[in-house]
Amino acid sequence: MDARKLWRRIKRDYGPYLPLSPYLFIVLFPFYWMVITTFKRDRDLYNLETAPFWFKEAPTLDHVRLLLQGTLFPIWMGNSLMIGALVVVITLVLALPAAYALARMRFPGAQPLSTAMFLSYLIPSTLLFIPLSQVVRGLGFIDSVWALVIVYPSFTLPFCTWLLMGFVRTVPKEIEESAQIDGCTRFQAFRMIIIPVIIPGIITAGIFAFTLTYQEFIYALTFISGSANKTISYGVTSDLVRGDVFYWGSLMAGALIGAIPVAVVYAFSLDHFIHGLTAGALK
Amino acid sequence: MSNGRELTETPAVPVPAARAKTLSGWGRRESIQGLIWVAPAFVYLAFFIAYPFLMSIYLSLSSARVGSIDTHFVGLLNYRRLFEDPVFWQTVRNSFVFTFGSEAIRLVIGLPLAFALNRSFKGKRLVQGIILIPFVIPIALSSLAWKWMFDSLYSVINWMLMRAHLIEYPWQWLGEPGLAMWSVIVMNVWRGFPFSAVILLAGLTAVPQEVIEAAKIDGAGPLRRFHYVVVPIVRPILLVGLLYSVVFSFTDFSAVWLLTQGGPYNTTHVFGTYAYNIGINAGDLGMGAAITLFIFPVLAVIVILMLRFLQRD
Repeated sequence: MDARKLWRRIKRDYGPYLPLSPYLFIVLFPFYWMVITTFKRDRDLYNLETAPFWFKEAPTLDHVRLLLQGTLFPIWMGNSLMIGALVVVITLVLALPAAYALARMRFPGAQPLSTAMFLSYLIPSTLLFIPLSQVVRGLGFIDSVWALVIVYPSFTLPFCTWLLMGFVRTVPKEIEESAQIDGCTRFQAFRMIIIPVIIPGIITAGIFAFTLTYQEFIYALTFISGSANKTISYGVTSDLVRGDVFYWGSLMAGALIGAIPVAVVYAFSLDHFIHGLTAGALK
Repeated sequence: MSNGRELTETPAVPVPAARAKTLSGWGRRESIQGLIWVAPAFVYLAFFIAYPFLMSIYLSLSSARVGSIDTHFVGLLNYRRLFEDPVFWQTVRNSFVFTFGSEAIRLVIGLPLAFALNRSFKGKRLVQGIILIPFVIPIALSSLAWKWMFDSLYSVINWMLMRAHLIEYPWQWLGEPGLAMWSVIVMNVWRGFPFSAVILLAGLTAVPQEVIEAAKIDGAGPLRRFHYVVVPIVRPILLVGLLYSVVFSFTDFSAVWLLTQGGPYNTTHVFGTYAYNIGINAGDLGMGAAITLFIFPVLAVIVILMLRFLQRD
């Protein structure tokens, strides 16, 4: 009797969490392992005698120091942030008018152009990195961060336009029409009515443009060779491996610190993020 | 999903005559204005997607090499060389194993997760936030943790499995043909299952609670409810989400490159990594372009399926 009651109580209070715990473990263990590795001394790191899950010697900042002083990590961070910011701006400037026109205006070619936008979202960078390396070379941007600034909108633009079209459609047409009667031009109506109403959509699009850019790897690997021009993703994975030697402590430190900007953006925009994810995929 | 689209689809109020006139005024200029509004975006896409795409077709038919000016048309020579290349066929096989292995496991572990998240409990937002982390953190960074956990000497996974007496000697997760592919798949699943779960969850929440209740009252058990009520409603959403996921996996480069670079003995090469090796590392642009173009037919099939499901909705 009592046991049954207790079981029911456990089920009521912890029921939802039990099936989630293995998932949380799988998701979080690699990050836990990164943290431990970052702060372990080398001798501790390569000691297999006892359980490796906690410090057996005092934690150290040596790996972080090597990362910050022995590599160009701060520069890679700066590159990634700058590229991210510029790509967000370029993407929104191009995507907003296109999204508005595709969602609201009737003009010849609107339908095929919408489809083309959708299709260009599905063309992967794996298909384009070889010819784009030639395009970038032709533009004189090889081994320069500008190569990435100018190429990255090719995957952020279609996604963000698609996302913003959905938001534009939610604005009731009547509001725009009354603005029209008051003598607004299309552009005024767009600037003063549409833009303020779809701010959440613009934020979502900006977040996606930033995270997609920050995650990008293959273009950076293909277009960039000089250490000072690398992004976080490329720099950390290449410059802390010398021949056969992996600087594991510093590699983990770089991965952890490098992930902070996206983690912060993400933590403050979780709802926007989940909405964009499902909307982008399912619209 | 229901992004307030219903607002725009309310039956139109009859427009007064004066208003109709100004509206058509806006409308008349629309045909030109529309094109002007979309022009910047499409000019950009033409130059950075359409043009390079056509260029890769040309490259694949040419003898182009990095740093060489002597480029001429060679017809289908690059393709013929590929067909005779055993590594290429291995790459094709690997790509399919990688994609469908990843997708199947993602679905199998994503579905129970979606069910677990499809109810309200304290801290749900936090849990959802944590679950999505692998999808958000750049794969180049999180792959380093996996590379370290799969290390040949200091693998923590080996340590755990050996202490649990599940294995007798340390496994070479990334060094052994056969095993290496599954290690890459494990990381790819880890990175992608949050996406699958979110899509599945979006599908599940699309099922109105009343319909479930009605089925319950009619005496349908959980399995029957799932099969006869949930699945039909959720199917289109799931298929589109699944197809997206397939596209991402099939065209992936980073997961494989960062863990194994295609090795050992080419057993983990996928289209992207093999093309990178040939086209960029070895400088054979023509052959590299030919390899990437094989992604296209698969992609085309997926896109056609996708468009069909989208239209049916």
